[in-house]
Amino acid sequence: MSPSVLICDDSNMARKQVLKSLPELWKHSVQTATNGAEALTILRDNSVEVLFLDLTMPGIDGVGVLQGIKKLNLDCSVFVISADIQPEMQAKVKALGAKEFIRKPVKPDILVSHLKNHGLL
Amino acid sequence: MSEFQLTEDQQDCLQELINIAMGQASDQLARYLDTFVYLKVPSIESVDAKDLLQILSQQQNTMAVVSQGFFGYEGIRGEALLAYQDEDSGRISDLLGYEPGELSEDEQLIDISSILTTTFLNVFARQIGNQMSYNAPKLLPSVQNSMSEHLQQISFSWDLALKVNINYQVTDYSFNCNMILLIPETAIINIKHVLDRILAEF
Repeated sequence: MSPSVLICDDSNMARKQVLKSLPELWKHSVQTATNGAEALTILRDNSVEVLFLDLTMPGIDGVGVLQGIKKLNLDCSVFVISADIQPEMQAKVKALGAKEFIRKPVKPDILVSHLKNHGLL
Repeated sequence: MSEFQLTEDQQDCLQELINIAMGQASDQLARYLDTFVYLKVPSIESVDAKDLLQILSQQQNTMAVVSQGFFGYEGIRGEALLAYQDEDSGRISDLLGYEPGELSEDEQLIDISSILTTTFLNVFARQIGNQMSYNAPKLLPSVQNSMSEHLQQISFSWDLALKVNINYQVTDYSFNCNMILLIPETAIINIKHVLDRILAEF
């Protein structure tokens, strides 16, 4: 069974990059969001199991989404994929419950190894 | 000027490459300043060569400009201008944590500019399969008078200015600067080919 996946990034190219990096079987159950508010709406109404989340977005950013997930008490594995690679930011998102911080541009082998490490593959 | 028009996909691709490059530049800046740098999504806009001087002169409080040339392979080259606001340049020594008199304000501006420019362009170049070398950065004295002169002295004819509006917030400080990349036509055409190649992979 492939989990239901949400990819949230304001860049179309970045969303495609994540999609392309996913295991074949997962690619069939993917939803996308272009900003934090959209992501939270989808997260609230559906049971998303794995979220790939960008941080630097207009409006509600990735940190806002992580806070929303916490507040709504949603059970969802979040992998942050971001260009903002400062150690403090990495620590911050992990403290907010992100499973992993992955730096952009995302590479398929790295993404897959993170999914394995967290028992999702 | 149709040569310089980007399609929606090319624009999105370029924006993402710039976001990644900017993320690493702010990481470098954060290490250098030993603090956290809050980065907003940089907005990019292209400016016709003939309009640039006018745009720069409209920003009346732009006071300091640091200019640095860059060269890559396959005709990719240009000049990077970092333009600082009046009120920010005075704060730079606070930001950098220098003791008064340790380094002149000019040297500080050149320091910080070179970190931003070279990190940004190195990461950008790597993503498009290129590699950059640089001229020494130089601070333009009293911008108002010397800008047009400087623009005329640039050794290649540039056709497009890509203006990247950067806003860094460093703890208590909000630190604004504009990075303006002056790029000749051959480099633009090359960059567009590379963007198409990247887009074709998806």
